[in-house]
Amino acid sequence: MKVITAVHALVDAGVDFTIIGGWCAILHGGANVTNDLDVCYSRQPENLKRLAGALAPFHPRLRGLPGDLPFVWDAATLHNGTNFKLWTDLGGIDLLAEVSGLGGFEEVKASSILVHVFDRDVWTLDLSSLIKAKRAAGREKDLRALPELEGLLEAREPE
Amino acid sequence: MEGMRELRPLTAAQLARAEERLRNPRAGSRIEAAQRFGVDLTLLMEQLRLSPAERARGMEEVAQAAEQARGAARRKRI
Repeated sequence: MKVITAVHALVDAGVDFTIIGGWCAILHGGANVTNDLDVCYSRQPENLKRLAGALAPFHPRLRGLPGDLPFVWDAATLHNGTNFKLWTDLGGIDLLAEVSGLGGFEEVKASSILVHVFDRDVWTLDLSSLIKAKRAAGREKDLRALPELEGLLEAREPE
Repeated sequence: MEGMRELRPLTAAQLARAEERLRNPRAGSRIEAAQRFGVDLTLLMEQLRLSPAERARGMEEVAQAAEQARGAARRKRI
């Protein structure tokens, strides 16, 4: 996963997004490697155009579907769906319009903090919200991540 | 940008407190639960010593290396 290039592309295109999932955990001190970049994105029409333009050079297609299945990557496609599991030249990128336990992009953004990473300022969920989201998602892989995240939260809590 | 919350590197005092908690987990704490679950607390200590940017850079290198190793393994099987 070429996460640096992906983050640069999104930020430089002015896409309104916040990093969630495994890379969010890493930014908070998590020690598990992740294979894809999960982001929650604004559904504002202008943002959908920016998002489509930002990822277009990396040839997004829906992950897990036959490679020869026609797929048009543009703002209209983004408008007609909400969550997209993409495979790109940079690796897997998951786009989510809402996050379990938190809500839509506005709620997710309100639960996010700014971090300077890869020479850019990027939004990512705060640690408590990441834990809340993982608990609400309830999948085995989310629940498996909870002990580490809870431990990190406790280690960082003030006296 | 005023009032905006930022994820910053831990201060020396915050890091010392975090390391102490991770090195000697309190009975019944969430850190002790993590340890019992199998989380390697020493790895968390190492990560917390880094800035968020350093954590991300390091993990990107690990992810790339893992991808290369997987690619090499696939090629060997073919």
